[in-house]
Amino acid sequence: MITEFIAMNGYGLYVWLSFSIVILSCAVLYLKTRKTLRKYENDFLVDLQNLPLEDKNKVLETSKVAQQILATNSKVN
Amino acid sequence: MFKFFSSSNIYSLIQKLINFIDSIFFLILIIGLTFALVLSPPDYTQGDSVRIMYVHVPAAWLGLACFSVITLLSVLNFIFKIRNFYFINKSIAPIGLLFTCLAIITGSLWGQPTWGTWWAWDARLTSMLVLMLFYIFYILAFKLLSGEEIIVKVSSIIAIIGSINLPIIKYSVEWWTTLHQPASIKIVGPSNIHSAMLLPLLVMLLVFLLYGALIFLMKYKTEIIRIKKKNLKKI
Repeated sequence: MITEFIAMNGYGLYVWLSFSIVILSCAVLYLKTRKTLRKYENDFLVDLQNLPLEDKNKVLETSKVAQQILATNSKVN
Repeated sequence: MFKFFSSSNIYSLIQKLINFIDSIFFLILIIGLTFALVLSPPDYTQGDSVRIMYVHVPAAWLGLACFSVITLLSVLNFIFKIRNFYFINKSIAPIGLLFTCLAIITGSLWGQPTWGTWWAWDARLTSMLVLMLFYIFYILAFKLLSGEEIIVKVSSIIAIIGSINLPIIKYSVEWWTTLHQPASIKIVGPSNIHSAMLLPLLVMLLVFLLYGALIFLMKYKTEIIRIKKKNLKKI
């Protein structure tokens, strides 16, 4: 029964190849996008850390985005 | 109202949406794949090769939809200079390119057992290839050019010229004699697809939509961080 399912009446190669290509390429784009996002979050935090303490506190007080990136990064770490 | 569209509110909304999609995506993917590969019946003429339709059709639809959105936002950005549209288009384009490439590849894998050839220079296939080229030119405009104003101008021109191809793709199967079958699903009028095949197709469309939305949100979030990072350097 499993062999029949895999063979798909002779169309197995085309069907499985189609679904595999779709899943693989979608996974690659997802991982690449996530990696870029993490890189930018980390770079942002490095730049934030390098600011003088006064400016850093000012940014954290005024920018919700900075607060959220910091919170997300703390969770990940 | 305008305060709601501030980058900080959009950023937190994006995070919530990403978490929501993450929580339901795999469940819907498994349901979609079960329907597409196991539960849906084989076609009476195409046999099991019809299952390729469940990835080919949603990919083609979303490839077209992404370019339509890009064109609309390009025109609006060109006229009203709304900066957010520039970032939205930049985030959508790679998703549209991926879906268009997948539609072409899976179409080719469907064509071999059905028509006996991997490729034919017929109107539908060629116009989809042209769409893929427009996506590549559009993305290259962002990669190769510098200066937001010039990028907006060049990318908008590419999108507007490329949009001429969209009705050609849609109506190519009616205007010319093609190997590609005519549309089975119509927005207006009765569709000639059985519900046993329509349901898996709609579930797989939802999977593709959720995936596209997830990638878009992640890319858009990256753009917001990029802007904030630039602002940090100005301090």
